[in-house]
Amino acid sequence: MKIIKDKVTKLSFVALLITVTAAMFYAPTASAHGEKSQAAFMRMRTIHWYDLNWSKDTVPVNDTMTVTGKFHVFAGWPETVDKPEISFLNIGIPGPVFIRAGSWIGGQLVPRSVSLELGETYEFKVLLKARRPGDWHVHSMMNVKGGGPIIGPGKWVTITGSMSNFTNPITTLTGQTIDLETWNLGNTYFWHTFWYVFGIAYVAYWARKPMFIPRIIAVDAGKADSLITPLDKKVGLAFGVAAIGIVAATMVSTNEQYPVTTPLQAGLLRGMKPIELPAPTVSVKVEDATYRVPGRAMQMTLTITNNGDSSIRLGEFNTAGVRFLDAAVHVDETGYPDDLLAEEGLTVSDNSPLAPGQTRTINVTASDAAWEVYRLADLIYDPDSRFAGLLFFTDESGNRQMVTVDAPLIPSFS
Amino acid sequence: MSASQSAVRSRAEAVKVSRTFDWLILFALFFIILGGYHVHFMLTGGDWDFWTDWKDRRLWVTVLPIVGITFPAAVQAVLWWRYRLPFGAIVSVLGLLFGEWVNRYFNFWGWTYFPVNFVFPSQFVPGAIVLDVVLLLTNSMIITAVIGGLAYGLLFYPGNWPVMAPLHIPVEYNGMMMTLADLQGYHYVRTGTPEYIRMVEKGTLRTFGKDVAPVSAFFSGFVSIIIYFLWHFFGKWFGSTAFTQAA
Ligand SMILES: [Cu+2]
Repeated sequence: MKIIKDKVTKLSFVALLITVTAAMFYAPTASAHGEKSQAAFMRMRTIHWYDLNWSKDTVPVNDTMTVTGKFHVFAGWPETVDKPEISFLNIGIPGPVFIRAGSWIGGQLVPRSVSLELGETYEFKVLLKARRPGDWHVHSMMNVKGGGPIIGPGKWVTITGSMSNFTNPITTLTGQTIDLETWNLGNTYFWHTFWYVFGIAYVAYWARKPMFIPRIIAVDAGKADSLITPLDKKVGLAFGVAAIGIVAATMVSTNEQYPVTTPLQAGLLRGMKPIELPAPTVSVKVEDATYRVPGRAMQMTLTITNNGDSSIRLGEFNTAGVRFLDAAVHVDETGYPDDLLAEEGLTVSDNSPLAPGQTRTINVTASDAAWEVYRLADLIYDPDSRFAGLLFFTDESGNRQMVTVDAPLIPSFS
Repeated sequence: MSASQSAVRSRAEAVKVSRTFDWLILFALFFIILGGYHVHFMLTGGDWDFWTDWKDRRLWVTVLPIVGITFPAAVQAVLWWRYRLPFGAIVSVLGLLFGEWVNRYFNFWGWTYFPVNFVFPSQFVPGAIVLDVVLLLTNSMIITAVIGGLAYGLLFYPGNWPVMAPLHIPVEYNGMMMTLADLQGYHYVRTGTPEYIRMVEKGTLRTFGKDVAPVSAFFSGFVSIIIYFLWHFFGKWFGSTAFTQAA
């Protein structure tokens, strides 16, 4: 007997461990810091985020901030990734540290998935309301069905204050204002407790009497039917009838209390409005491109033709959110994240203004530790070793225009 | 002390030891079922149970009773045929509900800070009670499968409706109509669960218009009947081997 008792105790302990493990089995994804581990070609050849702006560096709880900018859906979208026909504008934060109070593409609210067109550029805005204090990395992010999450640049934002002060007031169509942070919580606890106690009461009725050993002996002796008394059946019936009755009654009373309810809303949003960018007046031809591994630099030979009516200079090369600038042409004043900004990372062999109608071949070097830090250099190990990015030209009056480039990349190890 | 000698000296002592076993076994049973059922349920029911914006009138209503009748059927088979104890289903669902609450409270809220009113679990208590009571009254697996299984499917939606209805109140949000549950899903950012993987209000029952929930519940009940048979046999088979060896 002692041995069996020990065994049962041991078994209970093992079961308890299994339970704890099982309960810990799943926690929703909290982190979005996948940006460096995502394949370089995914970041360079899918969605190009630019003109990004994080409206604040520090936000108190309950205050809002915005992440705004544009994204270009790259025309040379990789074959291996599903096209962005079903995509969702997300925000890369570690769980609900902010709530997403709104998100827009081209002025249209996008709480649902959308359809995006290759080669188009869209304007976006995400409105965030601070909820949980801490330092958080806030990334722009697009989920693409069949392609996974495409994480854009991230910036550190600090939330101050206390989460206990957070409220989320919402006015319903029935005219009530509720706090969505805690709405329905007491009701949920009440009903779950109610049914739990109801279930325990039923088990308790049977647990009053001897359970396992005497009963298995009786069953094995062929006296199973003697174990259930007429009273047992009556009590069981009462529990069954009560369960059905309570469900029916609460269903009716719930419908009386909440006469207006609607089904969950879902469905794909089509027809997102892209930005109507004027046709570029600069044409760029990539003659060759090499990546120098020891120098952490990419060199391109470009032939540029200015078909516009104002002379232009090359100010920026942007790939995967890393910005290489020629400080003499363009200086960033938006507070772009330091680690993604090479303020003097762009060297151009001849960056004097290129007059209208002229053509010039230039050598461009984009060098920064970011190639390694953000593992963009891994590109040279990709099966289809191509690079892609955005070139920004600035004209005399300071207007910027964007030209995409997409060409093979040859590594150089010396 | 020889092996044949009894460990207890009197009948009173035997009764006492037997009672101790009762509680130990019930305790162990609760957690063993909980462990297996919980993992099974998370893998099969998953997101439909995690988030209020997945709890729709079609797939939530259909899927959860079907994947949720499994362990109750199997445990009933063991407890009823071996012990004549009619609480296999309710012990299973109470175990599951306990495990789910631990998971939601500590992982979803405590660790990731999703509000509890967005991630609370679904409950199967009324259906499980009826399942147990039908077996108790009829002593028949077939009637339990047919009547109990159907009731299990039918009672799920109304049983959970009192906690879901307040989240189905509509709101107008920036020019779009949504329910509060949709809004929870939109507000409380899930980077790993983009909107397009949300499987709600999909299926071929659209022709039934407004009465889609009862139709889904009936369908779920019918499939639950089949799943009940299957898992009841699993339970019987598992129960017989395990306990023959022990005896
Ligand atoms: Cu990050």
